[in-house]
Amino acid sequence: MLKDITLGQYFPVDSPVHRLDARTKLLLSFAYIMVLFLIHGPAAYLLCALAVAGVTALSRIPFKMLLKSLKPIAFLAVFTSVLNMLYTPGQILWQWHFLRITVEGLESAAYMASRIVMLVASTSLLTYSTSPVSLTDAIETLLRPLMKVRVPVHEFAMMMTIALRFIPTLIEETDKIMNAQKARGADFESGNLMRRAKALVPVLTPLFISAFRRADELSVAMECRLYRGGQGRTRMKQLKMGKNDGAAFALALLFALCAFGAGRILP
Amino acid sequence: MEEILRVEDLTYLYSPGTPFEKAAVEGVNLSVKQGEFLAVIGHTGSGKSTLIQHFNGLLKPSRGRVLLRGRDIWEDKALTRQARFRVGLVFQYPENQLFEETVEADVSFGPKNMGLPPEEIRRRAVESLAACGLGEETLQKSPFDLSGGQKRRAALAGVLAMEPEALVLDEPAAGLDPRGREEIFRLIQQYHRQKGATVIFVTHSMEDAARLASRIVVMRAGKIFMEGTPPQVFSQAQQLADAGLDVPQITQVFLRLRELGAPVDAGVYTIEQAKEELLRCRREGKGC
Repeated sequence: MLKDITLGQYFPVDSPVHRLDARTKLLLSFAYIMVLFLIHGPAAYLLCALAVAGVTALSRIPFKMLLKSLKPIAFLAVFTSVLNMLYTPGQILWQWHFLRITVEGLESAAYMASRIVMLVASTSLLTYSTSPVSLTDAIETLLRPLMKVRVPVHEFAMMMTIALRFIPTLIEETDKIMNAQKARGADFESGNLMRRAKALVPVLTPLFISAFRRADELSVAMECRLYRGGQGRTRMKQLKMGKNDGAAFALALLFALCAFGAGRILP
Repeated sequence: MEEILRVEDLTYLYSPGTPFEKAAVEGVNLSVKQGEFLAVIGHTGSGKSTLIQHFNGLLKPSRGRVLLRGRDIWEDKALTRQARFRVGLVFQYPENQLFEETVEADVSFGPKNMGLPPEEIRRRAVESLAACGLGEETLQKSPFDLSGGQKRRAALAGVLAMEPEALVLDEPAAGLDPRGREEIFRLIQQYHRQKGATVIFVTHSMEDAARLASRIVVMRAGKIFMEGTPPQVFSQAQQLADAGLDVPQITQVFLRLRELGAPVDAGVYTIEQAKEELLRCRREGKGC
């Protein structure tokens, strides 16, 4: 059950998308999300969908994986589109008591749903195609200017790297502890919400203890290797922008112009 | 002796229906008699831990059956739950499961889940802690203030307090110092003797298997590779080596002695037997 979590899961294959610089991918995903919120009209939306599909195909990540990442937000997408459908004023199509569906409502529901789906799909693509380490590296480099105003950028990035690194470990640990408590008759599957929440105490206490122990051990291990913060630290794997990254930026710019253009020309 | 546990054609698949599907245990048949002391040995990843998690119904077989005294434990829900209590499973590093504020409360967790009356819960907690060498003075202590060996024993007491008919342990002595190891095995043997309980334990130590077990099951790649008494299993040194295992060190010494031409019997699996064998040779004046 816990093993189904796909949060930030890296899908390691070799593809042009995987080879792009993490900073490029991060910036372009960000730009893509902005475009998503600025465009109008079906043609522009279609273009955005094509862009995600195209990048997915290029990245050799199976569409199935992408669908898997969409599963958890399916409810959210349906919920928001239903709300939009019912509460947008305009030309009435169907009415029953206080419920009414309008043409405008249907339109905005469709836009909203596809916007959410594309947003999650594009960010999943980013985490699928970029290893967590290079992703945090990219964040660190991009945020470096903030160090001028004394934001501890390196420390944040290191914390993020460690957190990402330990997600699978902690999931495994949780699984083990749950099994051990089940072997003593703990029951996590029945009872009301309150009882179930209480049943988690025997899992959470040992989990916290082991997490603290691990943190302690990790900090000692890091100190043993003379880690003392970001000052003067060099990297083994330097981030490097190449021709591909230039091409990606150019393509992205072209895409953005087309998307805005499509909204203008075909309303 | 009566049969307590029976596994029929057990197969367990990880991630079934995906490209990552993998059989951790495949077509295993096993019968365990009441009062047996059974060791399960095998290379890392041979499916030992997966196998034993079926004995108390933590894992549901993908194929095959697990019978507890002749009844399939997946027959109905109540029976599956009962199996948890009748077959006590002690995981690796069980001290990592301690969570309560006091040792007594932690040991009471199992009996409480069984729905026993408070006096009975208390009796069992005190009794099983005492059996594990933890006296009255530890009852109100926090389990996190105990030493490593004490924690392990408190966790063991937590399972013994359910008074299971069969005790299943996954490497009960892993990570303990020699004295701690001795102590844990002594407690397990004591429970075995006093309650007439069946014991099944997973181990990586050939010495422990040779010394303690009445029967050994050797796992390899999810299947039972060999099965028999310690002499039956350890007389096949070559086959064990194929499974990535070894014979006990003392047996290796005697095999080498034989190779060098000493008139000793290589069927020696414990230090005790080694002593006897050397004395016999000496008595018979064969120049050992």
